Amino acid sequence: MPQLRKDPIIGRWVIISTERAKRPKDFKRSESMPAEKKCPFCAGNEQMTPSEIFAIRDSGNPNDPNWRVRVIPSIKPFLKSNEQLWKKGRGPYDIINAVGSHEVVVETPQHIANMADLEESNIKDVIYSYCVRTKELEKNENVKYVLIFKNYGWLAGGGRVKHSRSQIIATPVNLKRVKEELEGAKSYYDYHERCVFCDMIRQEIKDKERLVYNEDGIVAIVPFAPRFPFEVWVLPKEHKPDFCNIDDTLTTSLAKAMKKILSALKKILNDPPYNYVIHTAPFRRPYPGYWSTIDEDYHWHIEITPRLTQVAGFEWGAGFYICPTLPEEAAKYLREGLSG
Amino acid sequence: MAELRKDPIVGRWVIANTDEPASPEDFHVERHIWKGEQNCPFCYGHEQMTPPEIEAISEGDRKPNTPGWKVRVVANKFPALKIEGDLDKQPVGMYDMSNGIGAHELIVDSPYHYKGISDLENKEIECILKAYTSRSLDLRRDRRFKYILIFKNVGAMAGASLEHGHSQLIALPMIPKNVKEELKGASRYYEFHERCIFCDIIAYEEENGKERVVCENEEFLSFCPLSSRFPFEVWIIPKKHRDDFGKLNEQGIKYLAPIIKETIHRLRVTLDDPPYNYIIHTAPVNTDYHIGYHWHIEIMPKLMRVAGFEWGSGFYVVPTPPEVAARYLREADLSKELNNQK
Repeated sequence: MPQLRKDPIIGRWVIISTERAKRPKDFKRSESMPAEKKCPFCAGNEQMTPSEIFAIRDSGNPNDPNWRVRVIPSIKPFLKSNEQLWKKGRGPYDIINAVGSHEVVVETPQHIANMADLEESNIKDVIYSYCVRTKELEKNENVKYVLIFKNYGWLAGGGRVKHSRSQIIATPVNLKRVKEELEGAKSYYDYHERCVFCDMIRQEIKDKERLVYNEDGIVAIVPFAPRFPFEVWVLPKEHKPDFCNIDDTLTTSLAKAMKKILSALKKILNDPPYNYVIHTAPFRRPYPGYWSTIDEDYHWHIEITPRLTQVAGFEWGAGFYICPTLPEEAAKYLREGLSG
Repeated sequence: MAELRKDPIVGRWVIANTDEPASPEDFHVERHIWKGEQNCPFCYGHEQMTPPEIEAISEGDRKPNTPGWKVRVVANKFPALKIEGDLDKQPVGMYDMSNGIGAHELIVDSPYHYKGISDLENKEIECILKAYTSRSLDLRRDRRFKYILIFKNVGAMAGASLEHGHSQLIALPMIPKNVKEELKGASRYYEFHERCIFCDIIAYEEENGKERVVCENEEFLSFCPLSSRFPFEVWIIPKKHRDDFGKLNEQGIKYLAPIIKETIHRLRVTLDDPPYNYIIHTAPVNTDYHIGYHWHIEIMPKLMRVAGFEWGSGFYVVPTPPEVAARYLREADLSKELNNQK
């Protein structure tokens, strides 16, 4: 019997299709990708990109080759910071000019495609760079939210150059998905006086079925009502609202967890395209609709979604997803992938 | 400078690239290579390859599950939801779940393997729409169902696994999330303004130079919404305030068929026969009355690889602003040939 499951945070129902249940090797994909161009992200090619905004390097000057992680402005930014923010109404619509920023984090000087293949210390540098940039962008009062994400592989929206990188976008508005999560978490907190994510972590550790990883303060689970097969969420075990306040010890733990989980996905799903997105609390600035319990009710996490199925009109239009793999099965495969 | 635009119904922001709008040629559409009629379960003479038909539109004497039909409705062989059984709603710790009860039907649009919806005659499209409304009215008699979702996937990239033109219908025991948000947004607007937000959008488009209008007739408007999520997204909406697609009458069907035909034809010509989806957004059934809601069809060509940013944030980047897309669609050369044959 197929199942209907409800996401406890934002109330989205998903269909878990048990009839056509898919195992990892059932997902076939044909990735026809245009030819790779010369890589502007490798060490030595710094002149091919705009000047760096930030870098971690042992010595030397900005835009020199000896860096470990390098943050540069996007060549095709969605949002630009060099204008005065304006807002206006147009009929029933609201319009703002696209003020903000769009940065690219080059995660390694070597031509490595998948974050799974980076060293743990390298991933740690990447996480550190995310935090430094977020804190810097917070200083701009027009910025409401900073979204950090990664598109790996052509089908996941990755570019033509196969060099591991992620993106940081600062927006002047609150993002819909994040807002829904924040509101859902708040309404759970209002009733229970507990964080919904903390409750989820407690239940998953107890149930074990959907638990993928639980080490050094980092937990990874397959959500009870995932949108996609083999979707994984990575969360700090202890309650923490802001990603960018992560301390050094937890950064080490997170780097280790990400390396292991991404490697497990790579192994069991044959190097799938994937996206990850970091969901964190917005900046604490008073604005309409701001609430003060956010420190208690919200919990940062990373959502990793492998791109294994075509998303059709049904999913788009209705916000109702059909997930062809039982979450408990997916978690089992992932645990096996982690151990072997 | 690009613009951020807010959808007034659900409050979603999108980035419209008004600086350097992408033209139709900027999107790469892979040409469909036809597999042919041989093993197609939807062609005449292959009726035994599908589950028995639920309903068919045909003229004269015809036995069920034999050729001669114009539109044929069958159960999905691989249903996402099953019609037999109880919902059995239950908690799993802090979570909620139920059995996957629902109906999942396929509507075979026509007997012609190679014809897209815009290649059909108006009369033939009317038959498809009649099948939609008839199924919607029939399924809602089952009080377990709260929503009847009718949609269409064309092309493998848009999620279609069979190339013979067909639509799908899913009857759900709950209201899907996006619809719920639309209903909530529409009712909030209505409470304040005492007007329907969709009616206001139609009026705004008609009074402001019609720059986002693709085509129209007496009863329907086809336009690219100002806060589109996707390049070349088009909505078809009744000009009169109507909340329930299922209650569309014969007169309405006569006006809707040609506007669907023209809109899809313009999209296919402009974008070189892209994969696309359409979805009929309508009020729920067997629930409370929904004030201020207005049914409409959303057509979304699949031109981009949606990436982590959109998934994770619900924030969309639209490379072709809707007013530019609408202009391309209006200027489409309708005499151009399409990839209808092998």
